[in-house]
Amino acid sequence: MSTPTTDDSLGGTPLPIGWAAPAHQPSDDPLTEATLTVRMQEGLARPFQREAIANATDHTIVAMEQRFAGTAHDELREQGRKIRATAIANLPDYLEQWLAQADANGTTVHFAANDGEARQIVADICLEHDVSRVVKSKSMASEEVSLNSALENVGIDVVETDLGEFVVQAMGDRPSHVIAPILHRTRGEVREQFSKMAGEELPDDPAALTGFAREGLRHAFLTADAGISGGNFLVADTGEIVMVTNEGNGRLTTSLPRIHIALVGIEKLIPRRTDLAVLLPLLTGHGTGQLITTYVSVVAGPRRADEPDGPEQTHVVLLDSGRSGLLGGPFEEALHCIRCGACQNICPVYRQVGGHAYGWVYGGPIGAVLTPLFRGQKDGGELSHATTLCGACDDVCPVKIPLHDLLLGLRQRRVAEGCVGWGERATFAVWGQVWSRPLLYRASTAVARGSLRVLAKDGVVSRRLPGLSKWTAGRDLLLGRRR
Amino acid sequence: MTDRAAFLATLRATPRGKNPGLPDRSSTPDAPTELRAGEDPIGRFQRETEATSASMSRVTRDTVGVAVVAALHAAGAQRVALTTDLGPHLEAVRSACWAAGLEVADYADVAPQRRQAAALDATVTGCLAAVAATGSIVTSAAAGRAGALIAPTHVCVVREDQLLPGLHALLSGDVLSAAGSLFALQSGPSRSADIEKTLILGVHGPGRVDVLFVELER
Repeated sequence: MSTPTTDDSLGGTPLPIGWAAPAHQPSDDPLTEATLTVRMQEGLARPFQREAIANATDHTIVAMEQRFAGTAHDELREQGRKIRATAIANLPDYLEQWLAQADANGTTVHFAANDGEARQIVADICLEHDVSRVVKSKSMASEEVSLNSALENVGIDVVETDLGEFVVQAMGDRPSHVIAPILHRTRGEVREQFSKMAGEELPDDPAALTGFAREGLRHAFLTADAGISGGNFLVADTGEIVMVTNEGNGRLTTSLPRIHIALVGIEKLIPRRTDLAVLLPLLTGHGTGQLITTYVSVVAGPRRADEPDGPEQTHVVLLDSGRSGLLGGPFEEALHCIRCGACQNICPVYRQVGGHAYGWVYGGPIGAVLTPLFRGQKDGGELSHATTLCGACDDVCPVKIPLHDLLLGLRQRRVAEGCVGWGERATFAVWGQVWSRPLLYRASTAVARGSLRVLAKDGVVSRRLPGLSKWTAGRDLLLGRRR
Repeated sequence: MTDRAAFLATLRATPRGKNPGLPDRSSTPDAPTELRAGEDPIGRFQRETEATSASMSRVTRDTVGVAVVAALHAAGAQRVALTTDLGPHLEAVRSACWAAGLEVADYADVAPQRRQAAALDATVTGCLAAVAATGSIVTSAAAGRAGALIAPTHVCVVREDQLLPGLHALLSGDVLSAAGSLFALQSGPSRSADIEKTLILGVHGPGRVDVLFVELER
């Protein structure tokens, strides 16, 4: 074997200095910087985004339906629900079982009660082991805790290696979909960004653009001291971390650098390795319509003595950050989520406004549930109203989370906690009284019918309802034909 | 920082939710990742492998070496590494590559230098098992964590007796006990559709995957 080991003739091209926008600081928070209404208007003002979301998600939904045709799909979802519900109902037991196995396979485990601890723990591991560059594979947990800024603040170079996340990092953007981070970006925007980084005009061709990213990321993989990943599942009976990717960056991240750090929410536990035979087809089938993703990597600790490659150390940082507070309560089922994104794809609200409108890390119905639960009613509570309660999310959820009930429960909690103004409460109190009496109900609908006819123009009531102009600004009422 | 005892104590202090019980571990789920009743495993494996944009050729014990060289030539590969999970085919593959004038190394010798490993044109590996219903090969850390995806081309030799029907058989059997610190299902070339949903192969892992399926002598 010839051994040309001179720098940079092999394995990629270094990324230009200053290629990445500075990471968002934990204090830099769109959820509190703009109201839900403003964020939604921004989303509505991006017609490309609406079209892109429609194209991508329609394709995914059709692919999902075809994937499960001829199988007992509902029975599989029911098994998935049981596995997730049992795991969460017995979380302390399964966590202890996982810990015993992880200890045995040589994994070092850390415990982060909140976002700040997670940032500190990861930064400390890096500093203690002289890490100057980390490569990351996609991790929603790291988005939750704003991990990148914590590492950059102590002088560590961070490189996102998922293609979409790489674009997000270069642009200083935020991901807008749980599995398709740059669904809201056009090819032209990616080309412009990459051309700036390359110092030359790159062709308008996804293959060429991907090739450019690959070269820079290859170099990062070959020079990184640590790799940071998330985890799709933690398997209690084997102590393993399961990672599901299509690009292969997950495995390179956790195999090439000398240290692997996985930041994983505690709710990712599943009881048994065999449960993956149910959960993997649900995750990939509902997520992308794929039979299986290209890579499913299952890690059980660092490299062993007789193995040719792999990291010297494997660290797992277990993240609580609001999860334990949901156990045993009315919103526990939110922890069953396996982050496939199907509820996002099908949600009529998400499809119009896009992921950024949700203001935090998770979009769509599950985002409207998790954000107020993890971030509090004060910052995230409005989101439970960012839904039509149509129930499409319940029907598509691979593990049958009753998202619609959770959203309704969050609305009720919001009212109970006094987050809703007196005007709105009084209106609904009167409405409730009127509509629970048949005579008044009939009278009210007759009045409504009559007034709509007066207000309508060409069969459409648009921005003309007195006192409801905010509500009608984004909605048209179509009058039905008189029977 | 929170220590283990305090972290667990917080969890232990929470009320317990409803516990529906787990599905029976021994029964195969009715999922797309399992074979249908009476389905031919080899035919399904070939179909699913090709559906991922990988190729699959059927070879015999005696033609493995020739087939590996043909695949490497087709990919234009010169620098090649072999992993130990080629097992009974390792020496035949090595001599065929030598005879064809390729630069051949053992992956275990190359792996410690990441840059050398990344300069490979191709890796030729065996596998721990293969899964018919998903068109997947199962690789393991015992043969190398990154060996099957570090180079632009991956040639994988699968023996017929390694083929399992579906995901459940893989996960519930004992074949994974030999995996070491990692096992992975790999199904076709590396792919991304992040840029306007346009499918691109070879993003980080190989853009080209050739599966050579060694049929049993009958």
